[in-house]
Amino acid sequence: MTDQRLANLARILVEYSTAVRPGDHVAILTQPIAMPLVEEIYRQVLAAGGYPYVQLGGLRSRVETENLEYLLFTEGSEDQIQHVNRFEKIIREEFEVLIALYSESNTRGLSNVDPTRQRLRAKAYSEVTRVYQQRSATRDLRWAITLFPTQAYAQDAEMSLDEFSDYVFQTTFADREDPIAAWLELRAEQQKLVDRLKGKKRLEVKGPNIDLTLTIEGRDFINSDGTHNMPSGEIYTSPVENSANGWVRFTYPAIRQSREVEGIELKFEHGQVVKASAEKNQDFLINMLDTDPGARYLGEFAIGTNKRINRFIKNILFDEKIGGTIHMAVGFGFPEVGGVNESAIHWDMICDMRDGGQILADGELIYESGEFLF
Amino acid sequence: MADIRIVRLAKLLVEYCVEVQAGDRVVVTGSTLAEPLMLALQREILHAGGHPHLMPNFPEADYIFYSEANEDQLKYISPFGVMAYTEFEAIVQLMSSANTKVLNNIDPARQGIHMKAMTPLMKTYMDRAASKNLKWAITMFPTQAFAQDAEMSLSEMEDFVYAATFADTEDPVGAWHRIHDEQERYVEWLAGKEDVVVKGPNVDLKLSIKGRAFINADGVDNMPSGEIFTSPIEDSVEGTIRFTYPAIQGGREVEGVELTFEKGEGVKATAKKNEAFLLEMLKLDEGARVAGEFAIGTNKRIDRFTKNILFDEKIGGTIHMALGAGFKEIGSKNESGLHWDMICDMHDGGQIFVDGELFYESGEFKI
Repeated sequence: MTDQRLANLARILVEYSTAVRPGDHVAILTQPIAMPLVEEIYRQVLAAGGYPYVQLGGLRSRVETENLEYLLFTEGSEDQIQHVNRFEKIIREEFEVLIALYSESNTRGLSNVDPTRQRLRAKAYSEVTRVYQQRSATRDLRWAITLFPTQAYAQDAEMSLDEFSDYVFQTTFADREDPIAAWLELRAEQQKLVDRLKGKKRLEVKGPNIDLTLTIEGRDFINSDGTHNMPSGEIYTSPVENSANGWVRFTYPAIRQSREVEGIELKFEHGQVVKASAEKNQDFLINMLDTDPGARYLGEFAIGTNKRINRFIKNILFDEKIGGTIHMAVGFGFPEVGGVNESAIHWDMICDMRDGGQILADGELIYESGEFLF
Repeated sequence: MADIRIVRLAKLLVEYCVEVQAGDRVVVTGSTLAEPLMLALQREILHAGGHPHLMPNFPEADYIFYSEANEDQLKYISPFGVMAYTEFEAIVQLMSSANTKVLNNIDPARQGIHMKAMTPLMKTYMDRAASKNLKWAITMFPTQAFAQDAEMSLSEMEDFVYAATFADTEDPVGAWHRIHDEQERYVEWLAGKEDVVVKGPNVDLKLSIKGRAFINADGVDNMPSGEIFTSPIEDSVEGTIRFTYPAIQGGREVEGVELTFEKGEGVKATAKKNEAFLLEMLKLDEGARVAGEFAIGTNKRIDRFTKNILFDEKIGGTIHMALGAGFKEIGSKNESGLHWDMICDMHDGGQIFVDGELFYESGEFKI
């Protein structure tokens, strides 16, 4: 008998997030350390009538375990680095379901790998990635991603593994007796918000750390209800590209490529970042904003709603959903909501709103200090 | 067959650091992750004629102890530990964490209860260590947790640790003897000197070492080592220093620490990050504002900051100072519950003058 919470998390992923049906080909991608969760998912997929395929290859990796990925980047030839794994290609082009489990043993293991070699590999996979995104948009491929608790994530979160496991199972509702009902409840709750925001044109966001206006005309919010990201709990959209005006100071560090940028302040004019500063790693921030023209425009504006996510743990899968925060991403927008901003980056940055922050939609106060008013 | 470097590190610990003699009882502590090094030590201690006592600990066991123990249990001292500290001839500690932040959310007061109960035993330990009745050494067995803090892969971290300890060379014992001899030259030259002036882009400081000998940290206790250190005259430190690396205490990082000393006391302290924590620590007690240590790191194989003081304070080409407790064996009078090492890079034109003579420049000794 394993931890009941693992069984619950597996049920959420198979029954709720990806709704596995008889005959579905289901890829489970992870690393060997996550086997206890893999076994539970395997069991659930069998029960649902699907065909489970286990690929012990991390997700960052697209190879196998992170040590093997390290070897590939440090010892592989350019040709080997650009080789597209045939199993990976089949999964993304043909399978109906993909369930990925983050399960790193060292979140900084690739810090010293040459980024140009990583970019080479990403580029070699661009066609597979394109097909994946297209099949995902049409729901021909249903995917979900979650995290299997490891010491590495616990250390980043400054917790023991025991405390961190509790946190993961609480925020995914896997500690509840009926976790699926909990997600359906969150979905219904967020749908009310999405419906109320439908047709609104102008958002004003105010507070101690922000004074910003945005246009969302024709851009519906999406209900992120745990069918892709587990846990979830946010509503998000892509604002009209040239509409952002004002200023924001992000209250949490923004993390990208193992680097933490602290105390970021951005100033927007006609949608574009015209001034950017940071207390730490400012050079890296500016460098990222200069990636391409789209990197200085917002691709996302979102509101985190998961009250069980109540602390910053240096993992964006969780942090962007902290109940009572908003986040914005510079870089590419979401075509499914009409976003047209293109960029090679999409970098989420989080701002606390619990300290008197307000959101007004077409002049009406709809959100204050972390709570929706409708 | 284990990694040859692990075998060499075990030999180094047994032959050089604690010099195991026939009949010596040797306790080895560490986490279960250190199994390869522990087993290599088992073999080497037996070869040397000693009696090995391996005491591996599970990574989460301390966390469960501090979370669940009642006050009586927190005060309980293991009779095995008592026996090792009061009777054994040698202790080898292997730092080998699975998670360097495992106790971050434990109430410090609960840890305090246990530490207080351990105080008499720790005193016995330190007295026996000072009188050489107890030989001790501490080293690191590289783990993913340390690698993650150092922003390296595990294999990069292994290369770093075995290079820093010279376990990647054929004769690490010979290498450490050479370091001992080299450092002994500096220590002897400094004997009897008085006035030290430290200058550079990040420092403008003077201090007195009158009657305070430098100690040659040659890897016998800390493996790796590579530093010479002393406790300056308590009221002699004057000037300003900006520490170029984050100062870490109790899992917290304080960045951009800048201290100004007047008559030995830190009268002004600022930091770019976590300044409030720095100021709080300086208020701990009377001695916390006084420099208890001035030291020069000499290990050129330690060439990057890894957020682990066992390595960082020995970076070749840096100096470090500790706020708080000084070293009694050198004659220091500064007492404090704090001993917080802070590191300043000297590669970039930093100079040390001793009694007016240029002793050190840009990371190199000039004598």
